[in-house]
Amino acid sequence: MPDSAETAAAPLIEVRGVTVRYDIARTGTSLTAVEGVDLDIAEGEFVTVLGPSGCGKTTVMNVIAGLVKPTEGSVTVDGRTVTGPGPDRAVVFQDYALLPWRSVFDNVRFGLEMQQSLNSGDWRERVQNAIELVGLAGFEQSYPRELSGGMQQRVGLARAIVAEPRILLMDEPLGAVDALTREVMRDEIEKLITATGKTVIFITHSIEEAILLGDRIVVFKSHPGAILEEITVDLPRPRSERGAQSDPRYLELRDHLWDVLQNEATAASRGGKGS
Amino acid sequence: MARALEPQEGGRLVTATMPLKIVRPSRSAARGSGEGRWRLLLAAVVLAILLVWEAAVSWLQLVPAVFLPPPTAVAASFVELVVRPDFWSAFGYSLGNLAIGVVLAVVIGVVVGLAVGWFPVLRFTVAPFLWLLYSTPKVALAPLIILILGLGAASQIALVLLLAVFPIMLNTMEGALTVNKSLVNAGRVFGANGIALGVKVLLPGTLPFSLVGIQRGAALGFTGQVLGEFLGGAGGLGHLLERAAFDFQMDDAIAMVIVMVIIANLTLTVIGLLRKRFAPWHDDRATVKAG
Repeated sequence: MPDSAETAAAPLIEVRGVTVRYDIARTGTSLTAVEGVDLDIAEGEFVTVLGPSGCGKTTVMNVIAGLVKPTEGSVTVDGRTVTGPGPDRAVVFQDYALLPWRSVFDNVRFGLEMQQSLNSGDWRERVQNAIELVGLAGFEQSYPRELSGGMQQRVGLARAIVAEPRILLMDEPLGAVDALTREVMRDEIEKLITATGKTVIFITHSIEEAILLGDRIVVFKSHPGAILEEITVDLPRPRSERGAQSDPRYLELRDHLWDVLQNEATAASRGGKGS
Repeated sequence: MARALEPQEGGRLVTATMPLKIVRPSRSAARGSGEGRWRLLLAAVVLAILLVWEAAVSWLQLVPAVFLPPPTAVAASFVELVVRPDFWSAFGYSLGNLAIGVVLAVVIGVVVGLAVGWFPVLRFTVAPFLWLLYSTPKVALAPLIILILGLGAASQIALVLLLAVFPIMLNTMEGALTVNKSLVNAGRVFGANGIALGVKVLLPGTLPFSLVGIQRGAALGFTGQVLGEFLGGAGGLGHLLERAAFDFQMDDAIAMVIVMVIIANLTLTVIGLLRKRFAPWHDDRATVKAG
């Protein structure tokens, strides 16, 4: 039994030896999506996970979310082993995953209604606050199909934060958003999240996003997916101002990450295991 | 906390690109005038057919009027028919049985379809049998059903159910299979599982498919009702039609057929309206893409 001091210092999320294999019925073989992933994330930390497409970073996030059961290893959140989704973890999906038959208001409400939070009386106010926080006031009665991609992801973000989870899991949330909106929303996410002190895992394949958002960057390699490198980012916040991008430390970090990913891509293609 | 993240200008949302405004598809408006022209053409075609028919029978006497009464005679019979009280009791009887059969088919079809579409175990064990039954000519089972349930409403309702349930079941199954996986994941992440996941995510996501199935099922079910009435029992529109044909009242018989066409089309229209009402977000092209 750990004593109380150790418990307090323990990381919020502990990923231990997580391996995920999928059986491929057609060929009778199995595919290793991720292998032996160990990761500790402290409360309030903003971790960006960077890696090429198909490197299993989404799989790791799904294991933490409780959507995928690991073949080996385990994930604990606040000392409890994850066996399924829970109200302490919310997900922002790459393809937004909004319910098309619900208005913006009702989609955001969905983040509360399954947790019996609707009994608490002030739920309307909480939904409205979340909608205003992401800048969608006035669009409460619109339907997802009437909104642009960026606005749909704002709804996805509002739905994730409305129940005030401790952990926010973001799976390439800006991956499907156009380039200009992407930059605006990246800066907004930095301000929004750092203000609330949530613990965030943010998956991306953009080096800029990884540096500008993360307290720490976890770089993944593919075939099979595994952690290649972890880098602490000590650039001052907020980084969204243009200034950060001319900071020599930013440039150095960016070049380093380019090299790491490029070497990895070359190695993967030479290994003949690519794609 | 409740500060908007966006720069706001006069209450309007501004993004990096431009002020946002809601874009509502104006497809139906643009199509309206074109559709009107087609309707006019259709009416002209129908009118031409009626004219040729009338000419062939009444004026040129190419076909004996006993076998093919002219449109004017059919129209007169139609008017006579709709004021007869026995017509309306037959009408009520047929539609009552149809409604009971279709409602049963919807309940069974949607529940079984969702279950089979959702659980892989059922998909691999039960679905092949459903497809097999779907392809069986169920009309061939009519004598068997009448043998078991006797002449009358029970066997007619059974026939309606049998014909209507498979399109509903199989469409629902396909719909449940194509519900976007990340909607299901989102449902689970935000705490829905079991029945709640079915009711909040799976059922509404599948509804447009089910409604297409219900539309086809209801049309087939009406065939089942009329068939059941042909094969035995008293009352019902099919029975009236059969009697008119036996009495060699061809104008009455054709008027009855027209009534049935109207009923079938009204049923399709009502369910079509339900689709618009309950699944306005659904775009058939988007569904294909979502797979």
